[in-house]
Amino acid sequence: MMVHHEKPRLNLFARRRYDLMAVVWSHIELWIVSWAGVTVFAADDDADYFVREIQPILQQHCYECHSHQAGTMEGGLALDWRSGWANGGDRGPAVVPNDVENSWLIRAVRHSDPDLQMPAEKISDEEIAKLEQWVQSGAVDPRVVRPTTEDADRSPWWSLQPLSRPMLPESPSSLVSDAKHPIDGWIEKSLNEQGLSPQPRAERRTLMRRLWIDLLGMHPTLAELEAFERDSSPDAWTRLVDECLARPQYAERWARHWLDTVHYADSHGFEHDVFRPHAWPYRDYVVRALSKDLPWADFIRAQLAADHFFPEDPTSLAALGFLGAGPYDQSAAATAPLSFEYLDRDDLVTQVCGSLLSTTANCARCHAHKFDPISQQDYFALQAVFAGVLKGEIRYDSDVTVATERQRWQRVLNEAKVPNSPWLQTADADEIMQQWQAAKPPRWSPLNYETFYSNGGAELQRLEDGSILAGGPNPEQETFVVTGTTELATVTALRLDVLPHDSLPAMGPGRAANGNLHLNEIAMHYFSPGNAVPTKLTIAAATADFNQDGWTIEHAIDGNPQSAWAIHPHVGQPHHGIFVLSQPLQVEPQGKILVSLRQTHGGSHVIGRFAVSVCEGDSLHAVALSTESQAIEQIPLHERTIEQSQKLRGEIVAKFAEQRLKLLPEPGRLYAAGKDVENERGRLQVPQPRTIHVLTRGDLEKPRDVESPGALSALTHAAPRFALDPTADEVLHRAALAEWIVHPDNPLTWRSMANRVWYYHFGRGLTNTVNDFGRMGELPSHPELLDWLACELRDTGSLKHLHRLICTSEAYQRSSEAVVVRSANQPGIVERSTTQPGIGEQGTAQQRIAERSTTIDPENRWYARWSRRRLDAESFRDSVLVLSGRLDLTMGGPGVKYFRESPGPQITPKLHYDDFDLDGPGAGRRSIYRVVWRGIPDPLFEALDFPDLGLLAPQRHQSTSPLQTLTLLNHRFVLHHAQVWAQQCQTEVNHAFESEQAAQPPVEQTIRLAVQHAWLRAATDAEVVALRSLAEEHGMAAVCRLLINSNEFLYVD
Amino acid sequence: MWIEQRRPTFSRREWLANAGGGFGSLALAGWLSGEGVAVGNDDTTSKVQDGLHHPARVKRVIQLFMNGGASPMDTFDYKPALEKYHGQMLGPTEKPEGFTGPPGAVMKSPFTFQQYGESGRWVSSVFPHQAKIVDQLTFLMAMTSKSNVHGPASYMMNTGFILPGFPSMGSWISYALGSVSEELPAFVVLPDPRGLPYNQKGNFSSGFLPAQYQGTLLDVHRPDVVPHLHAPPEFGFAHGASDLATQKLLCELNRQHAIAQQSDSQLESQIAAGELAARMQLAAPSVFDLSGETEATLQAYGMNQEATADFGKRCLMARRLIERGTRFVQVWSGPQGAVNNWDNHGSIPNELPPMALSVDQPMVALVEDLRSRGLLADTLVIWTTEFGRTPFAQSGVGRDHNRGTFVSWLVGAGVRPGVAVGESDELGYQAAVDKTDCHDFHATILHLLGIDHQRLVVRTGGIDRRLTDVHGRVIGKILS
Repeated sequence: MMVHHEKPRLNLFARRRYDLMAVVWSHIELWIVSWAGVTVFAADDDADYFVREIQPILQQHCYECHSHQAGTMEGGLALDWRSGWANGGDRGPAVVPNDVENSWLIRAVRHSDPDLQMPAEKISDEEIAKLEQWVQSGAVDPRVVRPTTEDADRSPWWSLQPLSRPMLPESPSSLVSDAKHPIDGWIEKSLNEQGLSPQPRAERRTLMRRLWIDLLGMHPTLAELEAFERDSSPDAWTRLVDECLARPQYAERWARHWLDTVHYADSHGFEHDVFRPHAWPYRDYVVRALSKDLPWADFIRAQLAADHFFPEDPTSLAALGFLGAGPYDQSAAATAPLSFEYLDRDDLVTQVCGSLLSTTANCARCHAHKFDPISQQDYFALQAVFAGVLKGEIRYDSDVTVATERQRWQRVLNEAKVPNSPWLQTADADEIMQQWQAAKPPRWSPLNYETFYSNGGAELQRLEDGSILAGGPNPEQETFVVTGTTELATVTALRLDVLPHDSLPAMGPGRAANGNLHLNEIAMHYFSPGNAVPTKLTIAAATADFNQDGWTIEHAIDGNPQSAWAIHPHVGQPHHGIFVLSQPLQVEPQGKILVSLRQTHGGSHVIGRFAVSVCEGDSLHAVALSTESQAIEQIPLHERTIEQSQKLRGEIVAKFAEQRLKLLPEPGRLYAAGKDVENERGRLQVPQPRTIHVLTRGDLEKPRDVESPGALSALTHAAPRFALDPTADEVLHRAALAEWIVHPDNPLTWRSMANRVWYYHFGRGLTNTVNDFGRMGELPSHPELLDWLACELRDTGSLKHLHRLICTSEAYQRSSEAVVVRSANQPGIVERSTTQPGIGEQGTAQQRIAERSTTIDPENRWYARWSRRRLDAESFRDSVLVLSGRLDLTMGGPGVKYFRESPGPQITPKLHYDDFDLDGPGAGRRSIYRVVWRGIPDPLFEALDFPDLGLLAPQRHQSTSPLQTLTLLNHRFVLHHAQVWAQQCQTEVNHAFESEQAAQPPVEQTIRLAVQHAWLRAATDAEVVALRSLAEEHGMAAVCRLLINSNEFLYVD
Repeated sequence: MWIEQRRPTFSRREWLANAGGGFGSLALAGWLSGEGVAVGNDDTTSKVQDGLHHPARVKRVIQLFMNGGASPMDTFDYKPALEKYHGQMLGPTEKPEGFTGPPGAVMKSPFTFQQYGESGRWVSSVFPHQAKIVDQLTFLMAMTSKSNVHGPASYMMNTGFILPGFPSMGSWISYALGSVSEELPAFVVLPDPRGLPYNQKGNFSSGFLPAQYQGTLLDVHRPDVVPHLHAPPEFGFAHGASDLATQKLLCELNRQHAIAQQSDSQLESQIAAGELAARMQLAAPSVFDLSGETEATLQAYGMNQEATADFGKRCLMARRLIERGTRFVQVWSGPQGAVNNWDNHGSIPNELPPMALSVDQPMVALVEDLRSRGLLADTLVIWTTEFGRTPFAQSGVGRDHNRGTFVSWLVGAGVRPGVAVGESDELGYQAAVDKTDCHDFHATILHLLGIDHQRLVVRTGGIDRRLTDVHGRVIGKILS
């Protein structure tokens, strides 16, 4: 009646038929279905009418699910050729010529039949009328050839063509010297073709700043500038490039580029924009990887599957932060898990394909990619790669020693737990047993009780053997508190014996009717002599001789008062637990130990009789063996059976390993994705990867075939489906994708990154759609150059090699002046311009026209000049810190919050960016270490186009607006550092003035010093005069504020 | 005055180019094609104001956003069947995606409904003021969303997508049309002072458009309403005469620098931005100075009553902003969270009335004020929320999220007053007749602004992106 009904699914028969069709087609379909191959035979008016009026309707509304092009023919029906509808699908012919009412197609589009409403969004009445008229008048359809396969003449799109090393260009003219830099060979060749002549090399100081901002992301210091200016050697520039690349600041600068590309931030985004305190290890990983120039292939392998490729190198595991870089909708994850996981995987597929392959696979989610050869099947194969992981925190050891120890003891533990494990006879096991036997068994020293107390109201009495017996009232709940001293100087472990007694129900050791007890929590404190406030001692590990099923001794130290240790059904006999301290306790004379035993489960599950003792020495041996093993230990060695020895050995080795593991430091946390993660929802595990179906129109409610993990079928360098055992660990899927991506013959991977590197250097990519090398993207301006760079990257794996090549080219070193000379009517014959602006208007003998190259080539696609760019947000902030002398080059670690937090209306806090101590700790750290809150951007960074990281941000804008100007003029950061910098300049000049008695008064000197640093050149006299009056009237800080806001500082030439 | 030395008037095309930092460093290579599609052959900003693709009916928009999912069946969507089936378990047996709990029994509205005006619209007792102007309003009675979760649904209503990173409607409009006057930001957001809505600032993000098109957040209760308009007080060297002298000299030095560099459109536009910034410093404070408003106006907006003082003030500011040249103003009712908003899971009878009270009078005052000033002739006011609520009870007398159907209204230029389009089903659970979604809604608003939603396109990440994704139909029935 009124509740929402789901659309009925295809009936069983339809599904089976469909599956069959899919199998057939998956074997014969190729990627680009040619429409040119469709021959039109019927050339009469009806055929024209069909092509003009009917075909577009079918194309627009039906082909998505019923065509060869889409690779799907739902219900077995194809509508892209005559026989398709004439034979029809599961329901029979879709169109019966001249019979509108019996044509399924018409019934479907009319939505008159509740079981058959196609497409879901009803087409217009006008379109329906046209279809009806077409059927009524005989359904003439000229499409008589089955749309088939690849057009043989059509070569693959440029980016899919195999990558091969191009021949270096020949010197195109006398302008090009013999030892031409390969980059310049190609660039100058194309400039020649365009009839453009390149700008000369920029001034040294300009070049130096360009390099500093580009490679290091910060303004040079005056000392650095002077050092370079003094260096007159011919290879000064090359050495400067190398020096920059060797500095860790290079990696910090370029890491942010990558973090943008993969939309990394330190919070979730969405409704609950919660902080991710453990995301930063990934940021540090990227910095480290770039710093040591990790081969690009390994960088990709680590990010997708470090757990597979680098299990021996735990620091690489932080690379898995790549998988968790994007946003996370906590609310949807909790309330709409199916659609959440689907869209979350979509984000990951988008990220992987965009950042590593410059491919927009996500466009194939709802239908085959409209422009590129990517099917829905490919898209869902990529989703299947990540069907075994969820976002959250994983645990890992960043310390190699700890990681190795943990791996070793985990392995030992696993082996020892296997019944009759042959491993127990190996030398490794022997060694552990020898250690065990060589060590003195712990000597337990009873605590010398000073007080013992029952807060439940029981009467405690001390028996002759030193144990304590509870009698009298039997409370529901109980907590015993015992204090005492020991003669031991060091305590490493505590032993709690619970003992039977005739007075107890069922002989005890508990006071419950069945003799059981529940120890919810045990705690230890230490009182230094004369100190009334005790120190809490941390218990690292606990073992017991017997644990009731599900009630292990660890529950007594888990901090959870709901869980407990119990011993049923082994009542009426003694039991003990041993608790190892995380740090040995140094006991001072008169120092007191306090032990509290919390038994709050209820039902009088309380201890009846107990004793407490402590020991010193290697706590590794402070292990409670099971009753059975204790009995075996009593049997002389030569009398033990093999089974008994095995049993004892297995238990000792296992407990030994457990102790070792527990004494290792807590593993670190990393926000990533995995099959076993923790997040706000608790511990999430994906024991088996989700089954991924191809979804009609991307709709979760319309699943089709199951898809297996794979990648893009359009590439032929490797099999597009990974053909892994369905039960294989999901990491193998990720590893297989990584190998598919880093394959030397993958044409996209190397082009993608080579182009990205070029883009960051020049502000324009050789293909400027850096994340899209498909048909919607831009064609490369210099395809051979791009391929050559891609080959250099592929063959060296080195980004630094690419940087070096690019930065040492002439193209990189040109002036940004916009005037070029262009030949008026003789393209190809060009001389280097030495002209000044305006000369063309006067006319020259050579009939050349001087034009602004911004007019001829506004995008600077041909690199005749340098493209001037504004400092990006990070470079601006870090450069201001260089000026003020407050830059703090500390590397790595948790991010710095440049804001104060206060509670928000929900989990997301309010961030107060205007309330942060600009002189406080960490205030001068580099911007890469800033905590980036995805949904609450920093106004200073936002004003300078720091991107919205809800989506991938492979490129940044450079916007200009009055609000931005106001932010740069009036932001606290700018004003504060203008003051600090002014003060610094004054101090420096005063110092020099006093010592040297300079000819000019300090204010002028101060201005000259500030200008020299901001603009890296001497101030002109006119500038000094103007700035001086500002300084005299309003102070030096006003001058510094102006310089920071000046275009000469804001823009990089 | 130094700022009058030169007032560059950039063509729209140039402005867009400059926005990208010059063609050489355009962040999106597809920008040009996007721009070509977007702005056609328009050469001047004045022409743009007449509409990008066709004559505009609307020049500016005020959006009133009820954060949390305003209940339709307790406000405008009268459902007698709820009384009939009250207490019966008629909902889905399994918890639908995005519901926060399993649906309870059918729950009738605790409020009384009555018909008003010539149009006979039903309005519940929570909206007595809107009830008086129903004949002026245009209702969309069967709006739907793709998500039952606040985050995605808020994104959808604001950006047309359920994922983050897309430009909001205000950003698209600001990108397409700019500000009416250059002295004020084109897109202004007035959030609830108690906190940001779901998605924090994501709902007003410019997404992949340049940062200048994002919503400018203003806190009208602070003394410095426009952030960074002036230096904070502790920086004396950046105030008054010093500020003026600094900006003047900065402009001069930037000019000399530009000349030495044979000029460059980037440097020019940076200089122009500096000039506009100075003009904004002069113009902006007057927007927020209410001393010129009459006592009657302040009272009409409810600024003398505690319940309505805040929303009333923000509605009045919205009027003052659009009056002075802002193109698009968003006024938010309610922060994210469990209280003080329209997300009434716990109790419709207790949680909804105070929210309704806080907005009802101010919104009607805004409409009447705009009308009396003649502004309604080219201004559109829209009342929106991210989704509706279930006809089934939750936690006793609350209601859960429901994307199935909800209500929005419009008033002002270009829309037919007293009209209602769409109907929900008998219980008000799902849209039944003439359903509309955010794409249709956005397409219609763009249409009224003289923009063809299919032609306002920017290519990014390999896709030609629109506010309306690949959907959207102008809702012809509501156009006047």
